[in-house]
Amino acid sequence: MSTHITVDPVTRIEGHLRIDVEIDGGVVTKAWSSGQMFRGIERILQGRDPREAWIFTQRFCGVCTTVHAIASVRAVENALKLEIPPNAQYIRNLIVAAHAMHDHIVHFYQLSALDWVDVVSALKADPIKTAALAASISDWPGNSRQEFQAVKDRLAGFVAKGQLGIFTNGYWGHPAMKLAPEVNLLAVTHYLQALDYQRKANQVVAILGAKTPNIQNLAVGGVANAINLDNDSTLNMSKLYQVKDLLDGMKAFIEQVYFVDVCAIAAMYADWLKYGSGVTNYLAVPDFPTDTKGATFDMPGGTIFNGDLAGVKPISSFEDPYFQKNVSESIAHSWYDGDWQRHPYEEDTVPKYTPYDADKKYSWIKSPRFDGHVMQVGPLAEVLVAFAQGHEPTKRWASRTLETAGKVAGATLTPAVLHSTLGRHAARMIRTAVICELATKHWGLLAENIGKGDTRIFNEPVFPKGEQQGFGFHEAPRGTLSHWIVIEDGKIKNYQAVVPSTWNAGPRDAKNQPGPYEASLVGNPVANPELPLEVLRTVHSFDPCIACAIHTLDVDGAEIATVKAL
Amino acid sequence: MTTPTIYVLGLGNVLMGDDGVGPAVVRAFEAEYIVPPDVEVVDLGTPGLDLSPWLADAKRVIIVDTVKSDLPPGTLRLFKKADLLQHAPQARVSPHDPGLKESLLTLEFAGRAPLDVALVGIVPGPTEMGIELSERVRAAIPAAVQAVVAALERFGVDVKGRPNPLGQQAWWMSKEASSRALIIDKSRI
Repeated sequence: MSTHITVDPVTRIEGHLRIDVEIDGGVVTKAWSSGQMFRGIERILQGRDPREAWIFTQRFCGVCTTVHAIASVRAVENALKLEIPPNAQYIRNLIVAAHAMHDHIVHFYQLSALDWVDVVSALKADPIKTAALAASISDWPGNSRQEFQAVKDRLAGFVAKGQLGIFTNGYWGHPAMKLAPEVNLLAVTHYLQALDYQRKANQVVAILGAKTPNIQNLAVGGVANAINLDNDSTLNMSKLYQVKDLLDGMKAFIEQVYFVDVCAIAAMYADWLKYGSGVTNYLAVPDFPTDTKGATFDMPGGTIFNGDLAGVKPISSFEDPYFQKNVSESIAHSWYDGDWQRHPYEEDTVPKYTPYDADKKYSWIKSPRFDGHVMQVGPLAEVLVAFAQGHEPTKRWASRTLETAGKVAGATLTPAVLHSTLGRHAARMIRTAVICELATKHWGLLAENIGKGDTRIFNEPVFPKGEQQGFGFHEAPRGTLSHWIVIEDGKIKNYQAVVPSTWNAGPRDAKNQPGPYEASLVGNPVANPELPLEVLRTVHSFDPCIACAIHTLDVDGAEIATVKAL
Repeated sequence: MTTPTIYVLGLGNVLMGDDGVGPAVVRAFEAEYIVPPDVEVVDLGTPGLDLSPWLADAKRVIIVDTVKSDLPPGTLRLFKKADLLQHAPQARVSPHDPGLKESLLTLEFAGRAPLDVALVGIVPGPTEMGIELSERVRAAIPAAVQAVVAALERFGVDVKGRPNPLGQQAWWMSKEASSRALIIDKSRI
């Protein structure tokens, strides 16, 4: 007999992501992913000045602000064939690097580590043993016995008062929780320390972007950071060195803490290197441009089909027709009028809601396709695409990860294990380590270029009469993001954003091909359908971020996400 | 440079109708008042858990946000820190789910929560896509600004009125493109 579970975090006013799974014999046999909220924010942009689109697009989502700003200015620059000065490119790269590191650290420690870490079990840990274990795998100075004892005492104090605070709704004591108490204590300690590194990343964005979370320094044609080494109110050496210090601090945390924790969790949950692969077609776009027009990059992009790394096909410039021509979106199972599959320039966004019906329409998310194929996007796609093309830092960090996790697990791990739930976490960490190195490199490029006396930051955009089309992409923390703009007589005629979580969380298409979330859940074990921790593990491994729009605080607090077994 | 220890934070999505009232109140407050350097006023949008670094180690925080209620749109509801910590957080699925309550609970556990929090809550009307506030919620802005001033004064902050208030129109509410002229190069037409 099969059980049907709906995991529907009922939120205020409108819902976010809903996952339905059918379970037979303790294993997921079918899954559906549904976005429960209509957005269509793109429509606000019609008729506006293309130079201001980024100010609005960075408000699409409160978490992914910067990425929508970057993709937007790149789209307009693409439509105008406008290059930007080297300084502007480096400053943008530093901002997106800091944002990505911040985002990945928050995701691992604050949003998903507790799927694997049993906080309550940490109470049974011996701080001396924890410190010894930590010292055997990392030199991190925050791994002292005193630190572990302090965190354990804090935790005990909370439990003694009968309140777990932030940890209240966790799956403590669930049979799928397998870490030793010492490892749990180590992870809870790092969960708390991660806060300081989120803040360092925020400070980098604030120094370079003038404000955070909504940056103010962008412009179509470059950036608005005046550079004058002798002026306190502009970008100068003292500010550049502040950025360098912050990057160095983040590097230490990423390499000595985040890297080690992910390797340890992957080794101790080695089963989860088998589950959750789903769609093995991957898409990533190149990023960290090193020239003025986006023809050379420090992070490669491309496509992989059916997990065949040898057959990787590169995407090699901001103008690459291979990307431009092959993206389309289907609304066959989405709550929009019609059942078309169209190119973003040709799309419209006309909502038409009908009751949830898994065989017909069941999501507000559209289904993006690449040459008709379902594609998985995100750090795993990026790491595999870079690895397949021999990208040195990616190969080095991927090899280190597989070796270290393999040593702890007592097994030989190959890149094939990355096609999995924990592989997505490992890839996110690998990507963070690579980006951290690239940030330091681009900081050097910026300082060197300014040192040569080049202070140019902006090329003025010129809007010809008539119609232009442009697309801008960015390899964002959650994967390939693209903005598509049609400009007519200097005003926005059409605008579409094809976002990473749409690629991953989208419903089936006209050919009934399931999306990546849906495919990845099939085959997952579920020990207890009433507490489907395993379903959350796989969904969280994608770092879902879909309902970018609404939140209303519920102080009376009656609403708690419901996980109901039907 | 003075490091701020008191924050006034506006939360909400300015592209989603009344959800944007938090940022609008913060904007209106800044247009009328000047605060000392240890107070920072920020329109934070919808940061989810990214709120935590803003709250960590701050002494006092005033949050302006929409609150769910059966009372009519535009009603002001004021809360203290204890009210916010009373209930359990939601299960986590997307990074947007956790918000103020979850950030506060995390910091409480870390021993780094603000000493005091004042929430100036406004009951929203429609929160569908759009850049305008409903009439009742717009009408509540002056009272909400006064509530922010009162909370700051209670925190011992010297709030001064600006001799020449700034314009109140927020950028996201302008229906037209900005006043900067569009550049069209005649030679290319």
